[in-house]
Amino acid sequence: MTKFEYDLLIVGSGPAGATVARYAANAGLSVLIVDKKQELGSPIQCSGAVSRHALEEVELPLDEEYILEPIYGFAIYNQVGESTKIDYRKIKGDEYGSGPGKKPLGYVVDRRRFDRYCMTQAERAGAETWLKTEASGYATLPDGRCAVSVKRYNEDIEITCKVLVGADGLMSQVGKWAGLQTHIRITELAGCLQFIVDNVETEGLLEIITGHEWAPGGYAWVFPKGHGYAEIGLGVIPTMTKQPAQWHLDKFIKQSFFKERFANCRILEVQGGGVPLAAPLRTQYADNLVLVGDAARHVNPITGGGIHTALNGGKIAANFLIEHFQNPAATFTAKDLKGYQDAWLAELGDKMWSLYHKKTAVFHHEDIPTRDAYLYETMSDYFDPHSEYKKI
Amino acid sequence: MSKKKPVIFDIGWNACINCGACVAICPQEAGFISPFDTIAVDRPCDIACLLCEDICPVRTITHREAVMVPTAAALLAL
Repeated sequence: MTKFEYDLLIVGSGPAGATVARYAANAGLSVLIVDKKQELGSPIQCSGAVSRHALEEVELPLDEEYILEPIYGFAIYNQVGESTKIDYRKIKGDEYGSGPGKKPLGYVVDRRRFDRYCMTQAERAGAETWLKTEASGYATLPDGRCAVSVKRYNEDIEITCKVLVGADGLMSQVGKWAGLQTHIRITELAGCLQFIVDNVETEGLLEIITGHEWAPGGYAWVFPKGHGYAEIGLGVIPTMTKQPAQWHLDKFIKQSFFKERFANCRILEVQGGGVPLAAPLRTQYADNLVLVGDAARHVNPITGGGIHTALNGGKIAANFLIEHFQNPAATFTAKDLKGYQDAWLAELGDKMWSLYHKKTAVFHHEDIPTRDAYLYETMSDYFDPHSEYKKI
Repeated sequence: MSKKKPVIFDIGWNACINCGACVAICPQEAGFISPFDTIAVDRPCDIACLLCEDICPVRTITHREAVMVPTAAALLAL
């Protein structure tokens, strides 16, 4: 039987896993990524909005291969359609815009293309990728490494590695293997549905519609999606409504203050997902194991955004591991890997925790009009150019 | 321990959008998954919290009561 041995085995080739892989392979570690999918990023479970800063921060080239449309700001609506517009083309017109020498604030990306692009960059840095390969468990070995069982095109294979990186998304099984507390509360997982549509005008802004009337526990969104298309979606917290997201999205399209705007919309794609509006996992490491991305619940609890946090968290994990591997006598127990989480908390996690407390404070208001007012205010503050959180 | 009766889930595949929310909310142990990235439909769920049914954006998960066949061990203990 062929022996497969790597420094890192990464389960899941999304933005988090591929970023860990790219940095680690660049630094000379031997890296294998396995992903059970045949096509990365599919089915799409994400709106695809990401800041330019987030891509630049992890040195990912800005490439038309995956960019669908540039974004220049935000529009936050309350339940009756009054809005706060934050358009960087107007606030900082000399810096932001579509003209020469100007740049966008962010992008809406195609997650199929984006995830493939992230994987390609990791491959070019020296990582190896196996698609159609599902991991099913791991066991620590007496020599300080661990053995991971995978099935690749129906063939059972065992891979030995020093560190297993769980980057297997919100449905993460890797954390469960290690006995980590990964359970998410039903009050903190939004059931989301979105349509890619034709015949809905957009203006380069991410539009966020708050209000219990439209999206109890979450919010609705209208994002530009490139090629003249738009994306209309929403997420709801199941304990705050008797109806599923599908019912709310239908109501939002047919009855909201945007009903005329949506009157001729044609649905081109249907996508959905679960979005955690929750705290990060309290423990994101175990013997021979670290978690990144959605698997570690590195998701912004106010916006539900997870691409930036996945990319950035992936880089933090890689940098920690690269340094740790430099010591030839390094061991890989939970105690040794705790430093990853400490670094992550210092760089990103502590801010995410404070966002979580902010979000929790909003939804603690039992009175719906009060809660709506707080959510609208919190969202508007969050996207304000002077927000302390704008880099999350 | 949950006092709820074990259930077997049924997924209306026609409406399922493979969003994974049911697996994300599921408190079951690792591996309670179908080949189509939903919660398992081929064995009883003894927790029967039904959170997967609540989170489903297209409400396409239902359940029936699992018919329990006594195990050999349980029979021997009689």
